[in-house]
Amino acid sequence: MKETTFKSLKNLSTDHLLASGTAICAGCGGLEAVKIMYDILGKNTVFVNSAGCMTLLSVYPFTPFQGSWLYTAMACAPAGAQGIRDALDVLLNKGRIQPEEDLKVVVLSGDGSSYGMALSATSAAMDRNLDFFYLCYDNEGYGNTGHQSSPATPHAARTATNSGPFGYPGYKKDLFAIWTAHKPAYAATIIGSEPLDLARKVEKAMSLKGPKMFIALAPCPTGWHFDPRETVEIGKLAVKTGIWPLKEYLDGKVIHTKPPRRRIPVEEYLKKQGRFAHLFSPQRDTKQLEEIQARIDEYWAEAI
Amino acid sequence: MYRIRFHGRGGQGMKTASRILGTAFFLEGFEVQDAQRYGAERRGAPIFAYVRASREPIKERGIIQRPDLVIVADDTLLLIDAPGVLKGMTPQSVLLLNSEEEPKMWKDRLNFSGAVFALPDVQDLKEPTEQLHIGTVCAAAGARFVGVISQKTLKQAIQDELDILGNQIVEENLEQALRVYDLMEAYAGKIKPSSEPAVADYPDPAWIEMPYEDARISAPAIHAAATSLKNPTGLWRTLRPVIDYDRCHRCSSICSTFCPENAISVNENGYPQIDYQHCKGCLLCMEQCPHHAIESSLEHTKTLESDKGDEI
Ligand SMILES: Cc1ncc(C[n+]2csc(CCOP(=O)(O)OP(=O)(O)O)c2C)c(N)n1
Ligand code: SF4
Ligand code: SF4
Ligand code: SF4
Ligand SMILES: [Mg+2]
Repeated sequence: MKETTFKSLKNLSTDHLLASGTAICAGCGGLEAVKIMYDILGKNTVFVNSAGCMTLLSVYPFTPFQGSWLYTAMACAPAGAQGIRDALDVLLNKGRIQPEEDLKVVVLSGDGSSYGMALSATSAAMDRNLDFFYLCYDNEGYGNTGHQSSPATPHAARTATNSGPFGYPGYKKDLFAIWTAHKPAYAATIIGSEPLDLARKVEKAMSLKGPKMFIALAPCPTGWHFDPRETVEIGKLAVKTGIWPLKEYLDGKVIHTKPPRRRIPVEEYLKKQGRFAHLFSPQRDTKQLEEIQARIDEYWAEAI
Repeated sequence: MYRIRFHGRGGQGMKTASRILGTAFFLEGFEVQDAQRYGAERRGAPIFAYVRASREPIKERGIIQRPDLVIVADDTLLLIDAPGVLKGMTPQSVLLLNSEEEPKMWKDRLNFSGAVFALPDVQDLKEPTEQLHIGTVCAAAGARFVGVISQKTLKQAIQDELDILGNQIVEENLEQALRVYDLMEAYAGKIKPSSEPAVADYPDPAWIEMPYEDARISAPAIHAAATSLKNPTGLWRTLRPVIDYDRCHRCSSICSTFCPENAISVNENGYPQIDYQHCKGCLLCMEQCPHHAIESSLEHTKTLESDKGDEI
């Protein structure tokens, strides 16, 4: 595999493709990841977007994209991607478009969709070895409808459906493990606050054929209850505390691309977010905090 | 019927204000409708919510066209067209503002023929979006103006609506709301119920005849790139990031990479420039600039007309 062109932030484009003027919340971590990824994919890209926050990007007659965008129901963006890929292949075969006019097909879906409703369609697309990109922006809840719990919601987080004193009783599902069990061409976890890591992964995936699967943790000021100016800081803390491991899957192997050198306590990440405020006040919930920390420690003990 | 409209910015609690006032009317035995206008109800974006209340069954539907009382939580909304604060107001309507400026100034500036009042002493006016209890305060003021909601009922409505936020928040809100309710005693009953206009009184809607088109034309397809630039999302901003070019190191444009909005471009000399027509004011760039070259200032004191961006 050739060496990366992204050696420092200077190598990232400052001429961004995704236009301003959308209805997305100020400081949205998901939008940040989409913007950075789009710059690397280039403008010959078509987005297939399942219902969620990001479908507010394109509200007729306004679009921030340079090219096409298709809206699908929550369960079926990968099926939409298959249709577009097939149509492009037909056009290529008939010579009606030239190879340089070909488009990259990118599924853009939230976690409610990716971790739940769209799992079956995603699994089928990987079974068929569909040549596409998949970006799940994971804001850990049903953001667009008021932040209800999803299978990606972390343990103890308060959401619109788990507003009681204990927050969400379940545990975040390991979608990366489910995806990689299908042996796709490529899979990675990313985050907008680590743009170089993100850029290198997208660049690598672009050289491969087949399913290229990404999950971006998407700090969400609205649903996680923090000041929008903290989006990047919280993203960095997610990586430094080890709660969001940055990794990639290639040729059957998983590699951690940015393992925290000295992991800082997960509390530092949790206490910045209103959705975890009940773990700190009126009194400290030591038991829950220890459990959350223990699960992260366990992950890293197994990972290295 | 009473028709009351609340205007504010996403995050100021206008939906909560409409719910508190609606619940208070209901507890006083009224028929009530309260609703938030759906749309891009994002933090900072102009939004509105409304309440109808009547002793009779309410047959009106949809957004309020002719408000009796309009309560505005953020006076910068008066300077721009998009939020439509004055829409449908008549000389009988009343405008109640959260503003440091005198009501008289607004009356003249807006050339508004109805009465204009200001909310009394809503903390020392910082940024309107940082006034944590402004939604509840607006609801309390509304309750006072209609004069048919007792202090006890208002208290109950606030408790009912804010209960899930916990005791401490309820207590803080009650304190602010009841203080304003008491301060505004002189305004009790300034708003009288207005009659429901007959169908014939409504102006005809501005229908546009659309010919039947072939699906390829009538389908909602967009045939141009980046049309979202037409939306001036800079209106959402309550705090403005300002670059101090003396301190900017033209680093590898950290600010331009992180800005989710693509509101920071880099010019040929390597300097970042903020597009104030679109910057939503999240201030994430300010937090991330390693050289502390970005500062924030209150949007409140700026006029939107000066949004040309800084020339360097
Ligand atoms: C089948 C179906 N159920 C419910 C909805 C309503 N709905 C629209 S967006 C949304 C939330 C989606 O959550 P997620 O995929 O995580 O995206 P986010 O809103 O967080 O960006 C829901 C439930 C829908 N569009 N389709
Ligand atoms: S709710 Fe969260 S994910 Fe959705 S647009 Fe707002 S900040 Fe982004
Ligand atoms: S991050 Fe700060 S120093 Fe770097 S270009 Fe932006 S304003 Fe200048
Ligand atoms: S405040 Fe800064 S980061 Fe946020 S939208 Fe404006 S320019 Fe972009
Ligand atoms: Mg989501």
